Amino acid sequence: MTQRGLPKRQRLIGLWLLLSGISLLGGAIFAAWLDAQFAPTGVTRIALWLGSFSGGATIFLVGLLLERMLFTPLRHLQVQLARLVANPDARDEHPPEGWLKGLGPDLCRVRDSWRTDRSLLATAHAEGARSAARIRQELETLLQVLETPLLLCDHHRRLMLFNQAAEDFFDGNNGLGLGKRLEALLPVASLQQVLDQLPDDGSPRELLAPCDDRWLKIILRRVPGSDRETLLTFSDATASWSSEMGVRAELADMLTPLRQHTASLTSAADALIQLRNQNDASTSSLRQRFERVIQEECTTLGDNVAKIGQLLDDLQHQGERLTPMWSNDFWQALDERLDPAHRLITPVGMPAWFKGDAPALIALFDSLVKHLSAHLPDSGFEGELCLGNKRVYLDLIWRGKAIPEHELAEWRQQPLTSLPLNPSVADVLRQHASDIWSLADDDSVHARLRLPLPAIERVGAPRETAPPRPEFHDFGIADLPPPDEALASRALRSLEVVAFDTETTGLELRRGDTVISLGACRVVNARLLASEVFDQKVDPQRPIPPASTAIHGLTDADVAGAPPLDIVLTRFRDYVGDAVLLAHNAAFDLLAISHKGVAFDIPVIDTLLLSRALDEALDGHDLDSLAQRYDLAFPPGTRHTALGDARVTAELWLALLPRLEARGVDTLEQLLALQANAFDRQDASAV
Amino acid sequence: MARVLVVDDEPNIVLSIEFLMEQAGFEVVTADDGEQALAMVNDSQPDLLLLDISLPGISGFDVLERLRGEEATAHLPIIMLTAHGRDVEREKGLALGADDYITKPFSTQALVEKVQALLSEEQP
Repeated sequence: MTQRGLPKRQRLIGLWLLLSGISLLGGAIFAAWLDAQFAPTGVTRIALWLGSFSGGATIFLVGLLLERMLFTPLRHLQVQLARLVANPDARDEHPPEGWLKGLGPDLCRVRDSWRTDRSLLATAHAEGARSAARIRQELETLLQVLETPLLLCDHHRRLMLFNQAAEDFFDGNNGLGLGKRLEALLPVASLQQVLDQLPDDGSPRELLAPCDDRWLKIILRRVPGSDRETLLTFSDATASWSSEMGVRAELADMLTPLRQHTASLTSAADALIQLRNQNDASTSSLRQRFERVIQEECTTLGDNVAKIGQLLDDLQHQGERLTPMWSNDFWQALDERLDPAHRLITPVGMPAWFKGDAPALIALFDSLVKHLSAHLPDSGFEGELCLGNKRVYLDLIWRGKAIPEHELAEWRQQPLTSLPLNPSVADVLRQHASDIWSLADDDSVHARLRLPLPAIERVGAPRETAPPRPEFHDFGIADLPPPDEALASRALRSLEVVAFDTETTGLELRRGDTVISLGACRVVNARLLASEVFDQKVDPQRPIPPASTAIHGLTDADVAGAPPLDIVLTRFRDYVGDAVLLAHNAAFDLLAISHKGVAFDIPVIDTLLLSRALDEALDGHDLDSLAQRYDLAFPPGTRHTALGDARVTAELWLALLPRLEARGVDTLEQLLALQANAFDRQDASAV
Repeated sequence: MARVLVVDDEPNIVLSIEFLMEQAGFEVVTADDGEQALAMVNDSQPDLLLLDISLPGISGFDVLERLRGEEATAHLPIIMLTAHGRDVEREKGLALGADDYITKPFSTQALVEKVQALLSEEQP
């Protein structure tokens, strides 16, 4: 027999009433027999009858006494202890009573000591963690504002950290998530090789790798002094690589016709020189032909030179340093540089995107504005981006006259000392394949300085930056066991768990009821990740009965346009990855997601069975009762939503963990055995 | 009088080379594609070939390879005269058996001298 807890309350009460009844009945028969045998009278007869009933009555009264004074207080004590284990601040609804009343002060002392200890621990922890938290805060801020997408992975290639830029960069890629394997994000064999061969001294290695129709330039370096942790930074090399290669190839192709036509030209010129020495009438037609050849080749060469010039322009436009910029951002950055205290430039007109080398352009405009300011009254400037054909014009506008060209010619020679190598204004203009000129406006009041730049095809203002994710790093991941270690022997705290829940059209899953909403959340390192969630409505392809809507609130309109179950299940399987599944009353939810051909052949933890296994004697193992028992709150409106229930299930799992560990259930194997045992007992009692 | 076959599809340069070679005392025949060049080698029995690479139909490399593959023309002096100026192309031309590889644009004087030098080497 396996270990059993207290017998069920009902079983005990039944036994007690049965014994009392049998005793009373036996007493009655015995009394009747004595009465018939001896025919006592008066007091003797009363004593005989009372004596015969005394056994049954004693059993009944003792049972009643035990139930009131011992068993009920014991049950209450059990509930209270379960609450205390989960949370020392839990409500004290059942102070010890009956014969256990004496335990009250001791229990209070235990709880108070625990609270005090916990508070002391928390203070100590807070003290110790304060400086770490400050460093962490600075690191987080730095990481989130950093525009370079970066990832940090442990020596098992599990992601321990990623920043906002990485999240934007890998938008739509399910492989990005704490604890997930790098291979899931970037299934590139060469990446594995480079990772294996990275030097430990932190020197970087570069890799160009394909990913989702893009070419990614990846820079990898081992974090020195770490446990073989690796930092990866990314850039999208697709555009610069292909455009640069394209222009280079075109330039190389241009060389051959250039050689060809130059050869024809020089040969014809040589021939003509020789003909000059034979100046007779017979050679005049030949001379004319050579002259025509020279003329043709000159024209062709001129065309070729123009094409090369265009290609060089393209090369500069597509150069990596010319990056897209939003004009309002540019004017603001320029204004801050010119005079942080006062606003000198007012952006006017419609903002738009253009392409340029931002630091160089800001230095250039800084120089130009300072020159302009020396000539003009201190009335400030307007900045406008005008759209031209394939180009945009950055215009600085002021009240006054246009600047004469000879003056601009001098300005072009000015060095920009704030830039590396001190290029001149003309150098920066050349870099942008551009020039500057000054025009008087039609209103004869204003004039402008114009700088043409390549436009880019983008619509709309820059995207508002998404709020940073609450979780983007967990360095504890590095302490997890290797992912290929047998799951069965994994410690429960190190398990990656996906808690999930389904809402359905009804409870008759075998008779056509199906999923309308699937929600899940992830627990990594015994920590519930707030934003690593899966929340998807499903088109059930059948009407939702009003009785079902009354529970979860979802109507046909809510799920209209949602993907069907097979698509959602495929996405969900991707989301689950290598994690273990967790659900409350998992049998139902597993049946709900087993409709289509997506296999979930992974271990499943059921908090309902675990709760029964832990507290067999207690009633109420439904999610609401357990949430109340363990002081878990459903945020308003989230009960009976798939994600809301999944979250509470995950929190319930975290509350059950210490109790499981206290009973020596440390590994997944032991947990599944305990769960199977509870299932067998439930099965047996059902039979 | 030595006979030079000029193979090039660019009529302007053929015109000039033809004239300059004639001025230097050579008889000149011309072809403007690879097939015609191979036919002319048989028909005209030239003493030297000036061979371009980019030709309509079969390429100059192909012509060179075929001529070197036949016993009669295995030692016919061939100068590649081409706008393909990369090192690897020059190496390929010489590897396939060209006697010289001249990249356009070129000095006509130097070309004539090279032709003369090659032909004098051929004569006993």
